[in-house]
Amino acid sequence: MATQLLMAKSPAEAAGSKTASAAFIAGGTEVNRLGSEVPAQAETLISLKKCSGLGQIEKVEKGIKIGSMCTFQQIVESEIVPDYLKEAALFMASRTKRNMATIGGNIAALRSDSYLLPTLFAVCARVEVLTPDGKQDDICVNSYKEASEAGKDMLITAVIVPDNVKVVSKRYSNTAQSHAVLTMSAAALEKGFTLAGAIKNCGIYRFKGFEEMVRENPDISEEEAIAFFKGADSLKISEDMFGSEAYKRYLLGVTAYDFCRKLAGKEV
Amino acid sequence: MDKQYKVVHCTINGKKVERIVDVRASLTDMLRNDFRLTSVKKGCEVGECGACTVIIDGEGFNSCIYLAVWAEGKEIWTLEGLIGPGGELSDIQQAFIDEGAIQCGFCTPGFIMTSWEIVNSGKEYTDDELRKALSGHLCRCTGYENIFRAVKKTMLRHLGKFEEAEKVNSQGITEYPEPMPFK
Repeated sequence: MATQLLMAKSPAEAAGSKTASAAFIAGGTEVNRLGSEVPAQAETLISLKKCSGLGQIEKVEKGIKIGSMCTFQQIVESEIVPDYLKEAALFMASRTKRNMATIGGNIAALRSDSYLLPTLFAVCARVEVLTPDGKQDDICVNSYKEASEAGKDMLITAVIVPDNVKVVSKRYSNTAQSHAVLTMSAAALEKGFTLAGAIKNCGIYRFKGFEEMVRENPDISEEEAIAFFKGADSLKISEDMFGSEAYKRYLLGVTAYDFCRKLAGKEV
Repeated sequence: MDKQYKVVHCTINGKKVERIVDVRASLTDMLRNDFRLTSVKKGCEVGECGACTVIIDGEGFNSCIYLAVWAEGKEIWTLEGLIGPGGELSDIQQAFIDEGAIQCGFCTPGFIMTSWEIVNSGKEYTDDELRKALSGHLCRCTGYENIFRAVKKTMLRHLGKFEEAEKVNSQGITEYPEPMPFK
């Protein structure tokens, strides 16, 4: 159980202090909530609140660079953050929570009902990370997820998102405050159509098989989209209080189809 | 491993204070247990209900998921700080009473703190924006319409729109007279 708190003053100090028995704490909406497993498993929490240099939003060559400690509300209020990311940040309905939750924390939490990850996956966002040995790297958000799930220690210092792409997103939940059964995003990138989703209690996915199908046939029908997700065995979807497996697969299919039409400028 | 404690210096309701706190303590715990500021309610403790909302450096935060040690150097306001020196209520508190925006009262302090931030922002929120700004609070008595009306009327009064405030009807909609038909 966590009994120690380290108030890191710099990203290097925070990353260098990360051990297997330590965990980062950013805005606190995930780690500090009642029932969170993080303080139960870690002995030391490394607070990033006082870390310098993690709170800027700036335009860079590859798009918009957002410091990992920027809050959702800063993203919403920024004049240079693209609208699609503001929409994803506004999926968090509570303004008081938006004042606390950070973009880096939301990525690192890798929640299956993540607010931002489907959008960041769809636009192939880049994540700047710092390892405990002081090595800086710039990896795509999907690679971050894989490395993090493999147990690699990394501190997210910034996120870079493209600023001139067309993105559509949707979040399904009973109320604005509820956990979402499904959050999905699709983007029209230079390399083509991309689709990602966060399915509650199942995980976060980039649906590459569906993307290939749409690239081959941009005019897919709704029936084809539903059939794709109904038969996608690689997706491990379970039945729970949020709905049956069939329901979740159906939602994936109809939403993916709507996104294809929206990105093509057709009526839904 | 031993527990770790830290000294926190901050300003609470205009008064400079310092306390030694367990580094794991939430701001809610510090305000309630050390300062007896019991308007700060412990509701869900996951940051969803908004009953623990306090204003930190001018912005609303869920104090239940905010570490007390993060309050170092901050200016914090709770509902107790809105009351005048003679015990008089602030206008937003009075509006909640006038509009019947209180039932069991548990969510009320949190709602009032966010409302206080809204009405002092100097901004005129649309009905939609106002609802969204209040959406971080849950009222299980479901008194949302009355709460919305209290906040909207106070916001309009703060902006000097006294006549418009009086036209806010029971559904929280501003009523305007029918325009004169052209003859």
